[in-house]
Order: sequence, then structure tokens, then C-alpha cells
Amino acid sequence: MSEPANLGELIRSVDLLVTCGPGGVGKTTTAAALGLAAARAGRKVVVVTIDPARRLADALGVDGVASHDPHEVAGAVKGRGSFSALMLDAERTFDQLVIDHAGDAAEAILRNRIYRSIAGSLSGAQAYMAIERLHQLHFSGDYDLVIIDTPPSRHAIDVLEAPDRLNSFLSNPVYRALTLPGRSFAKVTNAATTAFLWTVKRLAGPSIVEDTVEFFRSISGMEEGLRTRAAEVGALLRDARTGFVLVSSPRAEAIDEASYLAEAIQRGGYRLGGVVVNLVHPEPPPLSLRARDIAAIEGPLAEQLAYHAELTALAAAERDELQALVDLAGTAPVCTVPLLDHDVHDVAALGELGELLVD
Amino acid sequence: MTGTLVEVDTTWLEASRVLIVAGKGGVGSSTVAAAASLLAARRGADVLLIAVDGKPGLGPLLGGPRLASDEQVLRTVPKAGRIRGRTVPAEQAFGDYLELKGVSGLLRKAAAAASLDMVAASTPGLEHLLVLGKIKELERTGAADLIVVEAPPAGHAAPFIRSARALQDTVTSGPVRDQADEVAAMLGDAARAQALLVTLAEETPVNEVIELAYDIEEDLGLALAPLVVNACWPDRGALALTPATAAKRSGVTLTSADRAALALSSAFGAARLTVQREQLERLDRDLPLPRLILPRLPTPRLGPDHLDTLADALAVDPQVPG
Repeated sequence: MSEPANLGELIRSVDLLVTCGPGGVGKTTTAAALGLAAARAGRKVVVVTIDPARRLADALGVDGVASHDPHEVAGAVKGRGSFSALMLDAERTFDQLVIDHAGDAAEAILRNRIYRSIAGSLSGAQAYMAIERLHQLHFSGDYDLVIIDTPPSRHAIDVLEAPDRLNSFLSNPVYRALTLPGRSFAKVTNAATTAFLWTVKRLAGPSIVEDTVEFFRSISGMEEGLRTRAAEVGALLRDARTGFVLVSSPRAEAIDEASYLAEAIQRGGYRLGGVVVNLVHPEPPPLSLRARDIAAIEGPLAEQLAYHAELTALAAAERDELQALVDLAGTAPVCTVPLLDHDVHDVAALGELGELLVD
Repeated sequence: MTGTLVEVDTTWLEASRVLIVAGKGGVGSSTVAAAASLLAARRGADVLLIAVDGKPGLGPLLGGPRLASDEQVLRTVPKAGRIRGRTVPAEQAFGDYLELKGVSGLLRKAAAAASLDMVAASTPGLEHLLVLGKIKELERTGAADLIVVEAPPAGHAAPFIRSARALQDTVTSGPVRDQADEVAAMLGDAARAQALLVTLAEETPVNEVIELAYDIEEDLGLALAPLVVNACWPDRGALALTPATAAKRSGVTLTSADRAALALSSAFGAARLTVQREQLERLDRDLPLPRLILPRLPTPRLGPDHLDTLADALAVDPQVPG
């Protein structure tokens, strides 16, 4: 596929879009605005958010409550397209995965204390579930475009690595020994496993060990399903019709994080589909006044001139910083979005932002 | 929200040995952690700055080397104190913990064989607890006059701080339980630990810091230092005027092109100031903590010189709202 010239082409040509970037740069808002723009271009779109800010959640109608099923955002699109949103319910997604793959053992797994704490709180599990949900929605056939927003900054790497991590977890010799069929706990003699259980027992107490063994035993039935799914998800993320959009701000520390992510995206064989730089200060037109005239001015105009100078210098410095992002984008389109003088928290503002992004 | 926030001493910087700096991603918590470290070092303290999420850039921000898991001196303030810095990777905290507990020989080998991944999977929250446990050990052994901890950002700050309490609920005995108890004791003792919360005067960060403050204070009894409102624009009231009016009052005549250019910059600045004022008022109403206002520095790249400015801005009496 040839590189899209801008984000507008990107959102019309991919089936999956993953937004990632450092925290506090408007990543979730960007994901939602791109989704709305694609829906208005006639596509059936669902946006999966992980932890949207309250006002944005309200605008999307997800109310800050995790939900398993997407719902259509009312009044967002006229015409053929549709725009739906959901806030990831990692626990429910995990449960669904267990029900689909564990067969008769499902009930025992869902009750297990270790499973419950993993499903509810482990951050790696949340990352994996985001991808799992993306897979489910993509293959449901209900949507042309699935957009997923990842957790901030380095945790986004967790999302990319989740399928591989799950695979290596399932291949761990300790795990393998624990789940060998027909062996009771007492007979587990594999040195690594004995060591593992001993460590857990000494550190966290004997009751945790029993739960751990039971948990690993009970998930052994779904191992193959999990492994197959992880491989499918990994392939889906590397598909030519999947694009990653890196979101940053022009601040140096955000760009550092974004560069780190861009490297991880490229190293992992994923496709960087575009770069969005949010929160860029607008550069005011230059003044004809000479510096020595400006220096002589006092009163309220002096304050206005001082601010004009400050904003001009800041915008220029940001433009210099931005160059690093342009360089790492390579042939992918880069879109800069000015720092707006209002917050984006309704469908109308999302629509305006979407137009800025796809232009 | 029903919590009553505790009174904050204005000598917050010397009030505890551990200062946990936390805020939503992008609000500048690392910058504030570095500035607070610098202020303490200027006052003679031997400071240890710990970046939990392993942001190595904190070192250069203070004029030192990039942070690593080994302790390094980042900055020495002549005739006063110094700042050392390090990260605390969970794997290393795990190893140190085993060593501390006198775990050796067979169990040590066992622990090395069973990767932390596997152990942590059976005991969620363990990684956070190990890191907090390491910090507690550093505090207990007097490794520094002040330990400044840059907590993980955003949604990860609360689980990090809460990990000890969560593990107290699931683990009933054994060394992990002891560790959880000891960490919870440190966090609940205002003379040992407090949280320095950071926000911007923008809607979403303000929402989140209010939630985080009540969460931390109510759930854990962790004392709160003054609230830091980072990156505030200086309040330039004249930006609300039209350039023509401002020029007239200053006795200057402007070309129409200059008026148009100023109209753009002033309108933008006035709009940002309006948001800032509204959000500071919300903080007044909803989060009755004394606060410290840090100026917005007109640069996208902060360096050691900027940190001196920020440390100066922290060295004032916190404003009491209302």
C-alpha cells in the first residue's frame, strides 16, 4: 500500500488504528476526533478508550463507566457512516476470553482468587485485553474501522508486547511443569517449578500457593486457544491495513517519549501511519514596530507587546523541537494541531478537531 | 466526597523524610520533583531523587548524568546539600528484598529461576510493593535527609500508592504481608511520608488531582503537602483590552497590521488566562489545600537554569485558598 498523503487518507484506508503517545497530550481526544471524521466520511467506526477524561467520556456517552458493548454516539453522524464508542472493561473482556476458550473449566477459573485479582488489576492484563477487544470487534464484522487508544507513554509498549508476553508466559518452564496433565502438586519435581512454588510460599504465604497451582492447572485447558489468539492478534497488529498514530506535544520531554515509542513501533515491525502534534502554540504575525520603539512603550500596550514577543519566541522554539518528530515520521504524514483556546468535550468540538486533523 | 483534608504545615519540605510527587501525565510532576529536590539541597539537605517509572531524563534536567539503577550524584550545591538520583526497577527491588530478608542459598537460586513475572502474576501489586518497600528501607536506614519519589503518572499513581493496602487485604501472612504492613505504616505517618500533588490550571488535570487527593488522603491517611499548580501564565490583565484601546492608553499609535497581529496574540492569551482563573477558582472551592503556583516558562525544553527559577518559586509561603 502506498503511504497516505495525510491523515484523511489514512483513516479511509485502514481497518485498525492504534493511537499511542505520552500522557497529557490529548491522545484520547485525537482518537475520538479521528473516529468521528472517519464516520463522517461514511465509515462504520468504533472507538475503544481505556481511561477517558470525564468530559470527553460524557461527550462520547460512555459516562466514565466501563462497558463491554459499544454504543452509538447520538447525533454524531448524518448519512451512511456510524460512530460508536466504548470504554474498555478489561475484566469482562478477560472473562469472555475464558468462556470462549476454557470449555468446562471456565467456571472454576472465573471463581479462582488469583484469576480474579489478575483480571481486575494487573496492568499487563489490561493492555492485553485492549488488544483482545480490538480483535473481537474487528472480526465481529460490525465495523469498518476500529480505533483503539492505548495507555499513556511507556505503558503503550505493554500493549504492543502483550501477545508476545503472553506467549512467553505460557512457555515458561515453571508454567509448563505446573500444567502437565496427570501430575499432582506433590509429584511436581521439576526444579524450576519447585523453586517457583517455594518462592511464592515463602514470600506470600501457603494459601497463595494453592490458589496459584489451581489457577495454572485450570487455565491449562485454554492454553492452546490463548496461544492461537495471541498469534492472531500479533499478526493483526502487523497487518498492512493497521496503522499506528503517534500523538505528542511539542515539549521536549513529550518528544523524547514519542521517539522511544516510534522506535518500538518500527522495531516491532508495526506500521507508523501518521504523527499528530497537539498543543502547538500559534505563531502571531510579526510586528512592524522596531525593538527600540517597543522598549520605550509603557502601560497596557507594553503588556500586550511582551506577550506577543513571548508567544512568538515560544512558537519558534516549538517549531525547532518539532523537527525531531518530522524526522522520525519518515514518509508518514505529520499533522500539527494548535493549542486551542477551549477544551474539547462535546461532539461539535470533536468534529472541528477532526477536520483539522484530516485536512 | 466527604474527606477532611489535613492541615498542611508551611514547612512542608522539612516535614517528612519521603516526599511522593504525583500527578496526571503531562502536568510536569518530574519537573516539580526535580525543583523540590533542588530547593531542599539548597537548604542543606542530602537528597535522594527516585524515578519509579525510570525516566532517565530527570538527571540531565538537574545538570547531572542520566538516571540509572545505581545511585549517582546529580548536583552539588556549594556549602549546602546535594542531590543523588536513581531508578528502582522492580527486579532489582526484588533481589534487594531477598537479600535483606537474609534469603540466600537455595531460595535465592529458586527466586532467580522463578522470574519476577511469574511470582508477580500470583501476587498482583507485588511489583509496586517491592518498589515502595525498597523506598521504605532507604527511609528507615536514613539513606538521605529527604527522599523525593517521582510516582508513576496518571492512572498508575493511585495503584502504586495503594499497593500496600491492597496486598494487606489479599495476603494474610508471610514476608510480603510484613512488607505491606511496614509500607502502610510509613505512608500513614506524616513525619515519615507525604504526597506532593501536581496539577495544571486546566480542566482535566484539575478534575483528576481532586480525585487523587481525596483518594490518597481518605484511603491511606497519607499526608498531603501543598498542592503545586504548575505552568501558570503571569496574570496580564491588559490582554483583555483591544490593541487599539491599549495603544491609546499607552499614548501610542499602531498600524492596522500591528493592531491585527496583537489582536491575535492578546485574544489567545486572554482566553488561556480565563481558563486559568476559572480552574484556580475551582481549586479554591473543591480542594482546600494550601498551594504553590509555579510560573509557565516560555520554552518547550526545560534545562538546569529553568529549575533554579522553579525552585525559587517553590520557596514561598503557600497560598491558603479562600
